[in-house]
Amino acid sequence: MAQQAPGTGGSARTLTMARAGREAVIAEMRKDPNIFVIGEDVAKLGGVFGTTVGMAEEFGAHRVIDTPISETGFIGIATGAAMAGMRPIVEIAFVDFIGVCFNAIFNFAAKTHYMSGGQFKVPMTMMIGYGGGYNDAAQHSQCLIGTLAHVPGIRIVTPADAHDAKGLMHSCLRDDNLTIWMVHKAIWGLGWLGTAIKTAMATVPEEEYTIPFGKARIWREGTDVTLVGYGITVHHALQAAEKLAADGVSAEVLDLRTIVPMDREAIMKSVTKTGRVVVADEDYMNCGVTAEVLATIAERNPRILKAPAVRVANPDIPVPFSRPMENFALPDADKIVAAAKATLKS
Amino acid sequence: MKPTPKQRIWMYEMMLKSRLFDDAVFEAYWEGKKPVFHMGKGPLPGEMHQSFGQEPTAVGVLAHLGPDDAVGAGHRPHHVAIARGVNLKRMAAELFGKKTGLSGGRGGHMHLYDNGVNFFCSGIIAEGMGPGAGIALARKMQKKPGIAVAYNGDGAVNQGAFHEVMNMAALWKLPFVCVIEDNKYAVSVTTEESTVVPAWQRAAAYNCPGEYVKGNDPDLIFEAAARAIQHARDGKGPAILEIETERLHGHFIGDSAGYRSKEEVAGQKDPIPLYRKRLLDEKVLPGADMESLEAKVKQEVDAAMQFGRDSEYPAPNEALERVFA
Amino acid sequence: MTDITVPEDLWDTDDEGVIFSWVYADGALVEQGRLVAELTVEKAQLELNAPASGRLTILAPAETVVRKGTVIGRIEPV
Repeated sequence: MAQQAPGTGGSARTLTMARAGREAVIAEMRKDPNIFVIGEDVAKLGGVFGTTVGMAEEFGAHRVIDTPISETGFIGIATGAAMAGMRPIVEIAFVDFIGVCFNAIFNFAAKTHYMSGGQFKVPMTMMIGYGGGYNDAAQHSQCLIGTLAHVPGIRIVTPADAHDAKGLMHSCLRDDNLTIWMVHKAIWGLGWLGTAIKTAMATVPEEEYTIPFGKARIWREGTDVTLVGYGITVHHALQAAEKLAADGVSAEVLDLRTIVPMDREAIMKSVTKTGRVVVADEDYMNCGVTAEVLATIAERNPRILKAPAVRVANPDIPVPFSRPMENFALPDADKIVAAAKATLKS
Repeated sequence: MKPTPKQRIWMYEMMLKSRLFDDAVFEAYWEGKKPVFHMGKGPLPGEMHQSFGQEPTAVGVLAHLGPDDAVGAGHRPHHVAIARGVNLKRMAAELFGKKTGLSGGRGGHMHLYDNGVNFFCSGIIAEGMGPGAGIALARKMQKKPGIAVAYNGDGAVNQGAFHEVMNMAALWKLPFVCVIEDNKYAVSVTTEESTVVPAWQRAAAYNCPGEYVKGNDPDLIFEAAARAIQHARDGKGPAILEIETERLHGHFIGDSAGYRSKEEVAGQKDPIPLYRKRLLDEKVLPGADMESLEAKVKQEVDAAMQFGRDSEYPAPNEALERVFA
Repeated sequence: MTDITVPEDLWDTDDEGVIFSWVYADGALVEQGRLVAELTVEKAQLELNAPASGRLTILAPAETVVRKGTVIGRIEPV
């Protein structure tokens, strides 16, 4: 794939999110020699999740850099390089590993532009996998998106399909801020989690395109209840909407697409229409993305709600290893259906 | 200090137990995962980092430990857990995610905890350093006997936690031994590519003993561990023991390790048959005794795996329990 | 007409593989040398490029179990 010139294909391609995201990275790296990739296992292995397959061969070891297991160090180094005019892409395969480098991210990369009064920019993109559902237990299954979203100065994008994965990656790489491009492992198109999730694959244009930050996407229109999600919960919500349709309930599926900034207008517009809302998130519930969505409604106009809102999220427990307990903790289509029906009762 | 015949037999038995356990886990892991590989399917789901080849690092060190001591392992913990005497049935059940598991199915293979033998794990690189030294601090503060040993891979030494904890452990003369298992790879990145000065040499920076043991040989590891552990027991502070070992398989099951050359892989030596031969040649364990020992270990492993398989799953809402004490 | 066959040298073992995804829809126009399908064997993800240019017929849809030598599609010249 790396050697193909864009625009020479015959028909439209249906790609996995992994491939689509990689296509954007390769295209930007070909144009801009200041972009480089740094992280654990990105060169020889091509990324623990295959995010950088073939890149070391094309761009050389000086632009695709394998690091020691020293996250706080290499994120700090990438931040400094960004301050000096480079545009680093930093991979952290599992978001769980971010704990050790919070200082470099929260207190330096995210705040440098502000603290310097705009003198220093940090045009850096982090590429991170998140999420569970495959029994990887409490230290390899988290989302931590609410945690990251809490800190100012970080844009957080969470594509739900291949089309958005590519467009949002182009947007991240052209932005002059710290952006975190996060994909749920189960929809990424990884070879070790079964075959590809069909709704996460999408027709992806050969051409480059960007997707603006803060623009939600309506995947399915409906009139009775709004199902808000992002990443994998969009796919749970789509399945839930199918099941609800069979029971005569018309559900609208709203994909936040970017968590920071959040498209609050789209939330208000949809819930104004339906009057009912379920917010689904695989992340911890407490002080999380689900709360932020509902705070938007509470602040702007709680009267649009015809019934109490329902949240479907991790009930604030570490992700358990064992299958029945993990399934209990994570959202799925049935839980969203039950939540939607609860809103329809009142 | 050389191991006694009894200690050598124990070391062989524990290595064998770890190996047979890993063999059984490897076989069961693939159930439900072919032809479509999905990590979450089958009776043994999740990532699985096995200890093939690294068994000597556990037995050579843990042969010196008693019930007052504590041991922390990393994300590749089976050999260490087994040599520490973690309940094998409950360990197997934990891997199967069963209610009878060490943590009732909450932890899984990277997060094995057995308070009965002062054993814990960290699935996050180098994060066993702090808790390991912390247990050592508690022993010192409470004036109780016992040392703590933390296992880390060669990749872990480039984490801040390694340096920070070694500095404090040395500063406060904690009864702590940091074991580095140098299996030469941090997933795909070699030690040479990641580390300028190896951990054992960095001991100089902490004014503590540091030793590198070559050869992946249980007897040599035993001797070096005796020195490091005695130093810690004598109240002189921590020691770093770096042990050359081999990762005979990929980083986890399913990693074909395409980043290693065929010659390199072919040149790897399996330490267990070598040690078996040595014990036979030196008549430490005559052939008949060897066979009955092996049969006993096999039976124990089989029984543990069967216990894990046959045990019941926890109820889904048990997930809500144990978040707080 | 050219068959799209799982090459004998795509992986080392005799294991079965599975079609992970098709990049183009049935009936789409494809170009020689471009990626048409992804396969997985155990945990490895493998690529299959179009052996010819033309109109694609998918014979083995995604999730089909395949072996080396299995014909999974066809390309007819247009």
